[in-house]
Amino acid sequence: MRFTIYQESRQGGRHNNEDRTTYCYSRDALLVVVADGMGGHHYGEIAAQIAVQTLADTFQREARPLLTDPFRFLQKGMSNAHHAILDYASRHRLLDTPRTTCVACVVQDSIAYWAHAGDSRLYLMRNGKVQAQTRDHSRIRLLLEEGLINEAQAAEHPDRNKIYSCLGSPTPPEIEFSRKTPLDHGDILLLCTDGLWGVTSGDLMAVALKGANLVQAVPMLLHQAEIKGGPHGDNASVVAVRWEDAYVEDASSAISTQTMTQDEVTTKLDEFGRNPAYKSDLTDDEIEKAIAEIRSAIDKYNPAR
Amino acid sequence: MAQQANHPLPGGHQLEEYTIERQLSLGGFSIVYLASDPSGKQVAIKEYLPNSLALRSKGDIKPVITVDHLGAFRYGMKCFFEEGRALAHLSHPNVIRVLNFFRANDTVYMVMEYEHGRTLQEFIQKHQGHISERFIRGVFTRMLNGLREVHSNKLLHLDLKPSNIYLRNDNTPVLIDFGAARQTLLTDQPILKPMYTPGFASPEHYGTRKDLGPWSDIYSVGASMYACLAGNAPQAADARLKKDTLMPAMARWDGQFSDRLLEIIDWCLNLNHLYRPQSVFALQKALVETITPPHPKSNPNWFGRIVDRFRNPVK
Repeated sequence: MRFTIYQESRQGGRHNNEDRTTYCYSRDALLVVVADGMGGHHYGEIAAQIAVQTLADTFQREARPLLTDPFRFLQKGMSNAHHAILDYASRHRLLDTPRTTCVACVVQDSIAYWAHAGDSRLYLMRNGKVQAQTRDHSRIRLLLEEGLINEAQAAEHPDRNKIYSCLGSPTPPEIEFSRKTPLDHGDILLLCTDGLWGVTSGDLMAVALKGANLVQAVPMLLHQAEIKGGPHGDNASVVAVRWEDAYVEDASSAISTQTMTQDEVTTKLDEFGRNPAYKSDLTDDEIEKAIAEIRSAIDKYNPAR
Repeated sequence: MAQQANHPLPGGHQLEEYTIERQLSLGGFSIVYLASDPSGKQVAIKEYLPNSLALRSKGDIKPVITVDHLGAFRYGMKCFFEEGRALAHLSHPNVIRVLNFFRANDTVYMVMEYEHGRTLQEFIQKHQGHISERFIRGVFTRMLNGLREVHSNKLLHLDLKPSNIYLRNDNTPVLIDFGAARQTLLTDQPILKPMYTPGFASPEHYGTRKDLGPWSDIYSVGASMYACLAGNAPQAADARLKKDTLMPAMARWDGQFSDRLLEIIDWCLNLNHLYRPQSVFALQKALVETITPPHPKSNPNWFGRIVDRFRNPVK
């Protein structure tokens, strides 16, 4: 298994970055996840972190080195994440549960399997064209499909950020699965949040990434997105994978998993709050811990509440 | 940096399960609101919002924290947690009670009990120079019960002053605002200087702060008692270290209050921390001792008289 991968998250004009990305791979399987914690809901970043963490942890346990059933893995992983978020909310007595979108993709035996809930997208790009993409679980996409509005209206529509499926909402998420999609040499899988696709079209990105070095091209896309997003732009995050057939000789920055042992899993996941955007030594989970500690002290010493 | 005033959350704003009624006070580090909980009970909610690091403009709910200030903002949040932690571990009738602690609007909130009353500062201003010895002894002895509890939890208040001593309607005192109650404040965050109030902060508050101890809070107690008599804060300790123009209570109010009380005040206000009461208990003991009529002035200076008193304790 051979591929090039690049992930990055930009805060944009927001006060905090509620996007989370991760990828992990074993010798024969690759998992890529992007989650967009929902602004407007408290603790969006926590929901996103729980989602990527849950999927990454499950992958580490189960990809030994192949997943027995990738779709089942995605289904289980995402609904476990959903319940983990609900548990977090009830444990912390949150009035409103934190929510997140989630798109996750598994590649093994050169076949891609993906699933998503919400409006974070996966694009499969081949030869500078978008070959496949996920369909957002948003009202606006339904309106578009029924022909009630056109693309231009959609871009300005007040409801363009409203989604009807996500992890962490009281109603169970609607998880949509892809078909088994064989990958060719040079195919690009791009998972991104609406901070990126909202300002750049998939076709444009496909052209920009065709034949380009992902390590250079993806930051450029994000940079453009940040500029287009303006001072109040949304968080923009992306993980891009270029698939390379094992028997094609090239690219030195590509990751080859042939030398990995059967049980080895490599995970690239920013620790909670250890995102480059944070310059503080007090991380979000430290904040949560401090609050939890104070609350338990209140319960212990001042129980008459 | 220009200091901008932060706008408080609007009245009627729903903050988690609490409804904001109005702002109670605005400080450099926080805003305190009067709010009501779902059962209608009034509570005080303190919002961490340092003026220099986070700005909420009119009409906004979330403050703007620039990326440059996020580190310092989070650092200050640590101190706010210290305050919460300090208070949460205390359960004493003379120390404000924390009811809840939560995170919202990119910052953190501490919910405290609210009772009708006023601060000692307001009381002093109202009764300028006409506060009875009985009142002072009563308030301070009980307030010291609270402070003893604080110290026995290995904490220092570090910002004791009349405006941080709250008087319930029955004049029982409650220690409030433990914003400075922390063990160490490193100086690597210049934007969040350790805070203290001139006049009430001890000499150890200035400089390296390594000598801070219960005696530092005791200096502040002495300064607060002095303020009760004088109607305003005594000379700041750093100025006293250069040129001490603070008139000893013993000389200033000779004959108007019992010698014992005046002695105690001067004892607490000693610039050398080793010469002050070393524990709240020692101070309390001195405060509750029976008031004895002044002795003939055997020793011409006030300090000598204190020494005499220790040599020949009243039986």
